[in-house]
Amino acid sequence: MLLEQILFFVAAAGAIGGALGVVLLRNPFFSVLALVGHLISLALLFLLLRAEFIAAAQLVVYAGAVMVLYVFVVAYVGGIEEAVGGEGAIGRLGPLFAGALLIELCIAIVGSALPAIDSRGAHVPAGFGSPGAIGKVLLERFLVPFEAASFLLLVAAVGAVVLARRRRGLEDAPDDELPERAGRAPLGDPSGRERADGGDEGPPAGTAEGPGDPTPERDAERPDPVRDPEPQPAGGTA
Amino acid sequence: MTALPLASVSFVESTGVQIVKAIVIFAFVLVVVPLILLLERKLLGRFQARLGPNRVGPFGLLQPLADVLKLLSKERFTPRTAVPWMMAMAPAISIFTAVVTLAIIPFGDVRHNALFGASYGLYGIDVSIGILWAFAFGALAFYGLMLGGWASGSKYSFLGAMRSAAQLISYEVSLGLSLVGVVITAGSLSLTEIVNSQDHIWYVVPQFVGFCIFMVAAFAETNRPPFDLPEADAEIVAGYNTEFGGMRFGSFFMAEYINMVAIAGIATAMFLGGWHGPGPGWLDPIWVIVKMLLFVVLFIWIRATLPRLRYDQLMAFGWKVLLPLATLNALVTAIVVSA
Repeated sequence: MLLEQILFFVAAAGAIGGALGVVLLRNPFFSVLALVGHLISLALLFLLLRAEFIAAAQLVVYAGAVMVLYVFVVAYVGGIEEAVGGEGAIGRLGPLFAGALLIELCIAIVGSALPAIDSRGAHVPAGFGSPGAIGKVLLERFLVPFEAASFLLLVAAVGAVVLARRRRGLEDAPDDELPERAGRAPLGDPSGRERADGGDEGPPAGTAEGPGDPTPERDAERPDPVRDPEPQPAGGTA
Repeated sequence: MTALPLASVSFVESTGVQIVKAIVIFAFVLVVVPLILLLERKLLGRFQARLGPNRVGPFGLLQPLADVLKLLSKERFTPRTAVPWMMAMAPAISIFTAVVTLAIIPFGDVRHNALFGASYGLYGIDVSIGILWAFAFGALAFYGLMLGGWASGSKYSFLGAMRSAAQLISYEVSLGLSLVGVVITAGSLSLTEIVNSQDHIWYVVPQFVGFCIFMVAAFAETNRPPFDLPEADAEIVAGYNTEFGGMRFGSFFMAEYINMVAIAGIATAMFLGGWHGPGPGWLDPIWVIVKMLLFVVLFIWIRATLPRLRYDQLMAFGWKVLLPLATLNALVTAIVVSA
């Protein structure tokens, strides 16, 4: 019981600290890392709620897959020293909006959670949160929303690929006229996956600076990803 | 509710037993990694018509000890452009995620009334999410390499880190999907139950395609040749661990070998029937270790045989060949099982 409580406070502090870090840290790379810490803390909280599957999914999907893409983009594009923040109307409305959201959330949480403090909490049946139970719920009771959500994600992925290809202008670029380069280029650069996996993270690294990018050394610290496969001679073939 | 605060497990043990098991697993790792290292160097030597290390101790048996002493006594160098605390953290993450994965590998079933009248499961922990545990920590393992490469502040490290990130993510999808077939056939995620359901036939037979996909993806996941692009020494010096020296490099190195052992253990449990084998019951852990050793030798053999892939070949193969194949395998298995 004691271990449970210690872990709860560790995870809660980690979650809050991580969330604060995302907002307050100046370096975008550290912000992303703070978000990773936040997500891992959330996974721990899920574990304490006996939702092992959700905890594992949280780690695999969010900390593992989604955040990797964030880290990718930020590591390539990052190093921006000036503060990222809106000027003008959005900059002034932002704190107002955040304050309103905080008040609303406080009302909701206090209203629903206060009566539960003295009780023993919700009754948890055996097998609750296990992979089997979640699979049953997803594929029997909520089959249509589940499929609709997956279809939505598929459409988003296809849309991201289409948009990325249009912006790059595969037909126009002189570098891509060779048939084998045109076919290989999107897979050859490691950042190509952002276009396929999720277009909602802003413009991916690979699109802005294609193979024909005239600025070779944008940042001495950050090597150009697209250039990576090119200098390797044909001798490296298996 | 139960004695365990986290995760429902199929077999509950006292905290003391758990601590002892944790220590045993860690000791196992510390012993087995130098041995595998020596085995690899010896075998590689033979594959290349050399003798391999034979100077330190009888037959070169003390070579790993000398290597460890050398690494321990080396200077800890940090480049001017590096982020020092992160460079210290990265190898620790790698080691942690690698060792934790070993916890779910079953070396035998639950032994009732074994020692001091109590019952013990011959594994670290048998969580209900089973193999997802390995994937959860496999997903975190990426941060060890990534942070290490990024924090070094060097181009080669950064390139290596980016490569490893792309590679791990690409092949983890195939790795997961290749195991879905086994999970569907066994009807459980728990490695212990999967091994138990293999007492008639090892899953390597009905799930042969899944096994092949798993092995290929496993080579990529463990950064072993021919998929060792993150540390391709001919192209990017040593990739993410270029700037690491001394025991920090040793930790990365060790994590790679622990990962290899862990993957071998998962392959043993998922495909080769785990502890099933002829002979009396006490041979069970021996069988598991023998089968794991087979996989380790295969890893070494492949390293000596195949050249390194080119980066675009690696990516194209992962997404265009392996992933569709793995998806198809899962689909066909699902249809066959439900039909």
